[in-house]
Amino acid sequence: MKHAVISVEKISKSYGSGESAVMAIKEATFEIFSGETVALLGPSGSGKTTLITMIGCITEPTSGKLTLNGNVMYDQKWTISDTRKIRRENIGFIFQSHNLIPFLNVLENVTLVPLMNNIAPKEANAHAKELLEYLGVGDKLDKIPSQLSGGQSQRVAIARSLANNPKIILADEPTAALDSERALSVMKLLRKLAHEQEVAIIVVTHDERMLPLFDRILRVDDGVVLEE
Amino acid sequence: MINLAQRDIAHSLGKFVTTALGVGMLIGVVLSMIGIYRGMVHDAMIVPNDIGAQLWVVQKDTLGPFAENSRLHEDLKYSLRGFQGVKEVQPLTFQSIQLPHAIKPVRVFALGYDALSGYKPFVLNEGRAIQTPQKEMIVDDKTGFKIGDKIPLGHESYTVVGRSHKAVSSGGDPMVYLDLDEAQELQFLFSNEQIRNDRARGGVNSSIATVNAFAVMVNDEANASAVAHEIIRWKHQQVFTQKEQTDILTQNMIERSAKQIGMFTMILLIVSSVIISLIIYTMTMGKMKEIAILKLIGAPNSVITKMIVQQSLLLGILAFIGGNIFAHLLYDVFPKTVILLPMDAVKLFGVILVVSLLGSLSGVRSALRVDPSSAIGG
Repeated sequence: MKHAVISVEKISKSYGSGESAVMAIKEATFEIFSGETVALLGPSGSGKTTLITMIGCITEPTSGKLTLNGNVMYDQKWTISDTRKIRRENIGFIFQSHNLIPFLNVLENVTLVPLMNNIAPKEANAHAKELLEYLGVGDKLDKIPSQLSGGQSQRVAIARSLANNPKIILADEPTAALDSERALSVMKLLRKLAHEQEVAIIVVTHDERMLPLFDRILRVDDGVVLEE
Repeated sequence: MINLAQRDIAHSLGKFVTTALGVGMLIGVVLSMIGIYRGMVHDAMIVPNDIGAQLWVVQKDTLGPFAENSRLHEDLKYSLRGFQGVKEVQPLTFQSIQLPHAIKPVRVFALGYDALSGYKPFVLNEGRAIQTPQKEMIVDDKTGFKIGDKIPLGHESYTVVGRSHKAVSSGGDPMVYLDLDEAQELQFLFSNEQIRNDRARGGVNSSIATVNAFAVMVNDEANASAVAHEIIRWKHQQVFTQKEQTDILTQNMIERSAKQIGMFTMILLIVSSVIISLIIYTMTMGKMKEIAILKLIGAPNSVITKMIVQQSLLLGILAFIGGNIFAHLLYDVFPKTVILLPMDAVKLFGVILVVSLLGSLSGVRSALRVDPSSAIGG
């Protein structure tokens, strides 16, 4: 039985105040279930990134309610430290640019989050190696990001996002820097991971060719979130 | 847990080490300045220590013989020897002279002493003591003269028969040692023309049996202060104990120079602190993207703070080591004595650690303000 990992109820976000206030997100309401892949579609400046940062516990909404894996977020009891812990333990991030830490090698980039979660180094290393092997970059453990190709770096970034066994993966245009063949391969991989590991994946994308790979599509237009 | 500071440094080791060495050179200059001050105090005390007097008898109302001019009749030594508790009295002359040298003239501080008495106000490093009256001279090796060298001085030519090592005056000039009679001639004997003119003016030729000070050694059982009191009472001259002479040399004479160096050292220390802070701040600003990513993936503030503070401390430690090496490589090149004391280095190390910690605060403050969403873009 699938359960809602992300529950968004009438979430709004405004910047500024008075007449100059800008509503970036207007009363968005939706749910995303475990193992589901959801595309977040919309033109630049429509509010996609704001929405993803609110779901990722980075930006606090102006109003509304966000529930992640059963935890009501932005409640008064949550501190910055708590929200970071939530991110560390429950959410994986994949960025347009791979955003790996340049001074850590591939294995260290992937084990960093589990180690911060106090997972034993031996266990974290074994899991990271397993993920990197699965993603086809198991032979690059000692390489630093600058020694990898774009596709390899993005695979390492995916491995990092999965290293903490997250319930949610938030991906911001993860294929934008890749050629169409590699982009398709990465998207297929994410879909496979979502289904195999019961992870809810939200992908911000402009690439309409990828849409058939998603279970659902949310379109954001001028701050309004609509389901297609 | 992965040590992020260590990994970051290893990633850009050349840049980090070069930066640390740059700061290290600045710290080396600070250390050298402290060493120059120590050297000044040390140099000021070399001659008084070698002379070994418990009491200094000088002209009344003067701070002689180093800080002010002092003139006394040499025959005062006979009556001084009569005071109870006095073991030995040595007449001394002091004067700055310039010796001709093949490369360029050498400015020296000449000490005249009674060579026949067996008294030796110097530590001989090579050669032998003076045997009067053969126009012999002992020089410090800093003058550049060798044993056997002939040095024209006044109407005579002096032969170098011995050398001391690093014996300098409070002004840093190398010492030379002459027999008292010859030193008196050099300092007090007028030219024939001047004597003739003085006679024509009806003046009386002054005796050259004049000295600048007497070094008085007292018996073991005698109280130096009591002996000084008696000399002042009966001979109406100024008497300083060794401690008072030390105070005159280290406080009166080099006080301004010491203050100048102290001020310069403080300015250098402040400049070093500002530079260390700026470097740490710049280093942190260069990592803002990585810090944003770390925050985004959930790294607690402690992990980020630890990374910055560890790098700052390591920069400070490396700079300190570099600075020490720099100072130790250079200290012998300085024309004046530079003394590098371990305790000064330890104190400076403490200051650098504090400066590094304080310097990292601005970096930490900026890092903690970074918005994790800046890693996402858009």
